[in-house]
Amino acid sequence: MSASPPTYESAVARIEEIIRRLDSGEAGLRETLALVEEGRKLVEYCAGELEAVSHGLEELRLDDLVARLEGTSRQA
Amino acid sequence: MSQPHATARADAAAGSDLPGPYPVGQYAAVLKRRLLEFARVQLVGEVWGFRSSRARVYFELRDGRGALPCSMWASDFETLGVRLADGLKVVVGGGCDYYPGSASSSPSFTFAVTELRIAGEGDLLVQLERLRRRLHADGLFEPQKRLPRPLLPRTIGVVTGERGKARDDVLAGLERRGWAGRIIWAFAPVQDRLAAPLIANALRDLAAIPEVEVVIVARGGGSLADLFAFCDEGLCRTVALLRVPVISSVGHHTDRTLIDDVAAVCCSTPTHAAEVAVPIDCGAARTELLARSRRLHTHGRRAIADRARALERLAAAPAQHIVRHRRHLHQLMRELRASARRGLEASRKRTGTHLLVLGRTTERARTSDRARRASDLARLALALDAHDPQRTLARGYALVEDRAGEALGSAAAARAAQQVRVRFHDDVLDAEVTR
Repeated sequence: MSASPPTYESAVARIEEIIRRLDSGEAGLRETLALVEEGRKLVEYCAGELEAVSHGLEELRLDDLVARLEGTSRQA
Repeated sequence: MSQPHATARADAAAGSDLPGPYPVGQYAAVLKRRLLEFARVQLVGEVWGFRSSRARVYFELRDGRGALPCSMWASDFETLGVRLADGLKVVVGGGCDYYPGSASSSPSFTFAVTELRIAGEGDLLVQLERLRRRLHADGLFEPQKRLPRPLLPRTIGVVTGERGKARDDVLAGLERRGWAGRIIWAFAPVQDRLAAPLIANALRDLAAIPEVEVVIVARGGGSLADLFAFCDEGLCRTVALLRVPVISSVGHHTDRTLIDDVAAVCCSTPTHAAEVAVPIDCGAARTELLARSRRLHTHGRRAIADRARALERLAAAPAQHIVRHRRHLHQLMRELRASARRGLEASRKRTGTHLLVLGRTTERARTSDRARRASDLARLALALDAHDPQRTLARGYALVEDRAGEALGSAAAARAAQQVRVRFHDDVLDAEVTR
């Protein structure tokens, strides 16, 4: 996997790639365990991403955010 | 124009030089054909008497010099999303049509409209097209389309009117995806041309928030003039160069504003725009993720279990090999012992047989030799007996010896010895040779 921070789509794509590799039966024990570990971490990451959009809709107004930001900068 | 055939010259009005009379239906059909041959054109005028039926809409198009009855298929008219009112200046495109009527229905002439736009929009359209070409030439249609769009954004920015229906549609689309993340609403006027800078500011502000991963710009339908804010050059250039992908849903699907051209994706409705912003169904994604997780788990467990079993087999193999060899050796040893026993027994039997044979042979030899010897002895005894002088003497012969006991074989020897002994079989007599 690339060193750049994962995105949901890249993580899903990598998981699919890992499963394809494992399904092929060509991976040795060491590689299998490494792939399973990597896949497990990616699944955790994806589950976290799905969890983040499952808690309930959070609606913010840009005006409020801008006002808050301007207030903070004035205080600073 | 082909003339209708006169049916009965006799029916002609007296004194008229005109051709005919022709059956009216025949003449009406020719008229229809001729009218249809008229070129299709655009007309400009004011709308009067607009009315609609289930299939068609009707109105008159008037100006100071004349008027035409117009009609249009209701389905075509509805897709335009415009409302016609008396006095509204419009441009229509189409051609003449004539319904010849029948014995029971009245004929009618109409200008069959296939295109319609509000007059004045023509100038706008020309401007719009010019601007579209310029933006395209500047390469501003592409940057947004090259931006990666997240499958599962956590934060979505939405620019729309605060009280518009578009807001509800966006929420409905997101709900349909099972998405319940964070929305940042940037409410802005979306009605007129002056709205464009405000919309552009809202977009810039949203893009400045690092968490915002995708932005939806949504507005319901309206006339081109209503939607013209979304054709503003400044707004379009802002959108084109934004760091986040913009999904536009402005007007109905027949409208095409310039923001649609520069945006990453252009959608027909705000609901669709929301679904494009979250391309996956979150519920289905959870199910798929669970399935993938199980597959990974199974692979991991199987990889270890299979190899552990293989190792177990391999570990047991040497011991089993030794056991097999030990059994083989034991078998060989048993066979060897049995073989040795059998060999010894056979040897013993052979030796016994040999001994028996030898004994018998010896016995036979011994008996035979004894008899032979006895026979030889008897024969020798007989031969000896035959040569025994005693037996000769017993037959009447006598042996002459000197006094020393030496036999004298001749008379001369006896004469020489003078004193002799005459041995008979039963006794010895001394004698003296005298002559």
